[in-house]
Amino acid sequence: MTNDLAALHSYLAVAAVLVGIGLVGFLSRRNMIVMFLSAETMLQGVSLSLVAWGRFHGDLGGQILVLFIIALAAAEAAIALALVVTLFARRGSLDIAAWQDLRESDQPPFEEEDLPPEPSDEPAAWPHLAPAGIEPASIDEKEHYRPKV
Amino acid sequence: MLLDIPFLLILIPLLPLAAAVLTAALGKHVLGRASHWPTVAAVALSSAASLLLVVAVRHEPGHEKIVQLWTWATVDAVSPPPPGEAPTSGYPGVRGAPLPVSPTHPHPNPPPDGEGTGSFHVDVVLRADPLTAVMLATVTFVSLLVCIYSIGYMHGDPGYWRFFSYVSLFVFSMTMLVSVSNFLLLYVFWEAVGLCSYLLIGFWYQKPAAAAAGLKAFLVNRVGDFGFALGVFFLWTTYGTLDFTLLGRPELAHGGTAAAIGLLLLAGACGKSAQFPLHVWLPDAMEGPTPVSALIHAATMVTAGVYLVARCTPLYMASPEARYVVTAIGGGTAVLAAIIALTQTDLKRILAYSTISQLGYMFLALGTGTLLGVAAGMFHLVTHAFFKALLFLGAGSVMHATGGVIDVEKLGGLRRRMPITHWTFLFGCLALAGIFPFAGFWSKDAILAAVAEKSHAGDATWLYLILFLVGTLTAFLTAVYTFRAFFLTFYGRERLEPEAGKHLHESPWVMTGPLAVLALGALAVGGYFQWSGDFLDHKGFLLQTPSLAPLVEQEEMGAAPEPGGEGAHSSSGHLAVALLSTGVAVAGIAVAALLYLGRPAWLEALTALMTALGLYGLSKNKFYFDEIYRALVVGPLERLAAVLAWLDQHGVDALVDAVGAVPRAIGATLRPLQGGLVQFYAVLMILGVLALLGALLL
Repeated sequence: MTNDLAALHSYLAVAAVLVGIGLVGFLSRRNMIVMFLSAETMLQGVSLSLVAWGRFHGDLGGQILVLFIIALAAAEAAIALALVVTLFARRGSLDIAAWQDLRESDQPPFEEEDLPPEPSDEPAAWPHLAPAGIEPASIDEKEHYRPKV
Repeated sequence: MLLDIPFLLILIPLLPLAAAVLTAALGKHVLGRASHWPTVAAVALSSAASLLLVVAVRHEPGHEKIVQLWTWATVDAVSPPPPGEAPTSGYPGVRGAPLPVSPTHPHPNPPPDGEGTGSFHVDVVLRADPLTAVMLATVTFVSLLVCIYSIGYMHGDPGYWRFFSYVSLFVFSMTMLVSVSNFLLLYVFWEAVGLCSYLLIGFWYQKPAAAAAGLKAFLVNRVGDFGFALGVFFLWTTYGTLDFTLLGRPELAHGGTAAAIGLLLLAGACGKSAQFPLHVWLPDAMEGPTPVSALIHAATMVTAGVYLVARCTPLYMASPEARYVVTAIGGGTAVLAAIIALTQTDLKRILAYSTISQLGYMFLALGTGTLLGVAAGMFHLVTHAFFKALLFLGAGSVMHATGGVIDVEKLGGLRRRMPITHWTFLFGCLALAGIFPFAGFWSKDAILAAVAEKSHAGDATWLYLILFLVGTLTAFLTAVYTFRAFFLTFYGRERLEPEAGKHLHESPWVMTGPLAVLALGALAVGGYFQWSGDFLDHKGFLLQTPSLAPLVEQEEMGAAPEPGGEGAHSSSGHLAVALLSTGVAVAGIAVAALLYLGRPAWLEALTALMTALGLYGLSKNKFYFDEIYRALVVGPLERLAAVLAWLDQHGVDALVDAVGAVPRAIGATLRPLQGGLVQFYAVLMILGVLALLGALLL
């Protein structure tokens, strides 16, 4: 095995690993942004593979195509994140499992079995000392607790 | 020009057809209450044209005119014509050279002009001869009177326009039936009158009994029509043509073939004319409106069978066996129906059984095969049309007045409230019983004389002797049941229920007018035709019909060796029969008067006696014919139908459902592929890519 070929193999191996990581991440994560991230990673893996082949064949075509891919990926990122923002504004959650409405009418929806408990609406109780002496003026709980940051 | 036979022949059926179409198209919304006008006008003109036709046929040399209209169907043959046959000239009609039935069978004549040999043509051909003219005149005249009567009877019915449309269609079918000149078209119009009968019996179709009765009539007729069709097929294979000209050469059918044809045609006639064993539909057909019963089931449609047998006289003369069956069935049915009529309580049913009985008389006469017999049969057809229509219309008048009550046990004493109906009904009853000088006397006397004549000399005298006695007994029973109905309805104390008796009044003139005309006919028609000799005389009008010529020949041959006239033709023989028939009729009236106008104890005693003998039950239950047929025929057919329905539902439908279930199964299998989760779709995409790579690499 010549040097070139060995180098090609290494580059292709790294690219394959990148694609694999991206694939697994896309399939297993439920956060929309992370899913998109994984897809971008797959793209990067492909780009690496293209550059490696270009170098191997001595053809600059590989690099040119990668330039295209980068520009494409940027545009795609803009669109994808705009979609994610819109979807989040609708449901208030980045979970992809919130969007299952386009299934067949007699299929059951996918539901989490072991979810963490929903945050309850009552505000968490702040600790306070026993009042000494005269009660101060009434404390409105709402002033001491901000539900959103 | 007015007496131009083709013009008249075409006009007579065409006008009612036009009226039927017009009323059907415009009746509901445009004509409404006036829906009767097209029908009444058309039938009136047809009636006038029929009377003109009678005059025209009298003037026609040979008394027969054939009018060919157009060719209905042509089928060109594939096989070459048989060689060496000289073409004969013949009438247009159904032509063709059939295959020989057996090597020894004489090859029927090839078609005229030799052209189209081996091919099959059906032409629409009408014929005018005395038999047709007589039938047309009777049918259209009685139809006219019934149509006028219906204006009053069907007044206010929501299906008024539908009624007149159907009636015109019926008149068209019946006039065509008697005018056509070949057996195929006769069959077509035979079915057409059956259809009109079905439509009219089931006129009030929302009533289940009426719908069932219509169906029963049609199905029982179908059984007879099956026999008729087989007879027509036989005629085709024997003669090679279906035109009535085949009746001019009956010699081609001998022995067994002639008997078979005669019996099969008789089967059709039994179906249509309600003879044993196919008589069961006629009493149920009384569910239809009374004018329908008067027109179709008394005067016209049921006489189609009699017309058929009369038309085929040469065929029946060629086969004594068929004739014996005809007479036996006629006589048997006559007495059977008369016995049943003795105990019925529904006035229309009594008249229905009376019709069956009188039709039996006509077949009894036709089966003698003599000139007097056939002429008497046709004579009775005409007189019966008058007095039976009169009786039915009278019953309708009673129904109209009492609001639908027709049970004689709930009627009584109507003669004071409905005088015109009473008197016309009386005329009809006297005519039916056969009292001099009413119409029925002349024709019934002629029938009994013909049977008596055959019981003295000729073949199978024993059969005719028995039938003569049966006929005389039936005449007695006829008088009894007729006057039973009459006395129960019009005499005695009023047994009407309060709501029926409320508006009991005489019927309007549109209804009593036809009653009066028919009563006049019932009085005078018989005597007039006896005097004019139109029916019974050798040289009379009816017997000039070419189809009936063999009868005249036979008579003249039979009369020649005995010029002194000591045969049964003697006037003393006739007088004896006339006295006997009048005697039994008067006796019958006397018995009816005794039982129904005298002390109730006598009637009760007689009823008890008859019940003890078992005869009362037999008569009241119509000899259990309906039950027997239900057990033998209807029941097994219903079970067979149930089995087939089960097969259809679970076999055929299961197959079709299985075919339908396959896409559903595939869909159910593939549906989970769309679960809504994006990642699942991504997995599928990857699997697809792998499959593609695998296909490319492997």
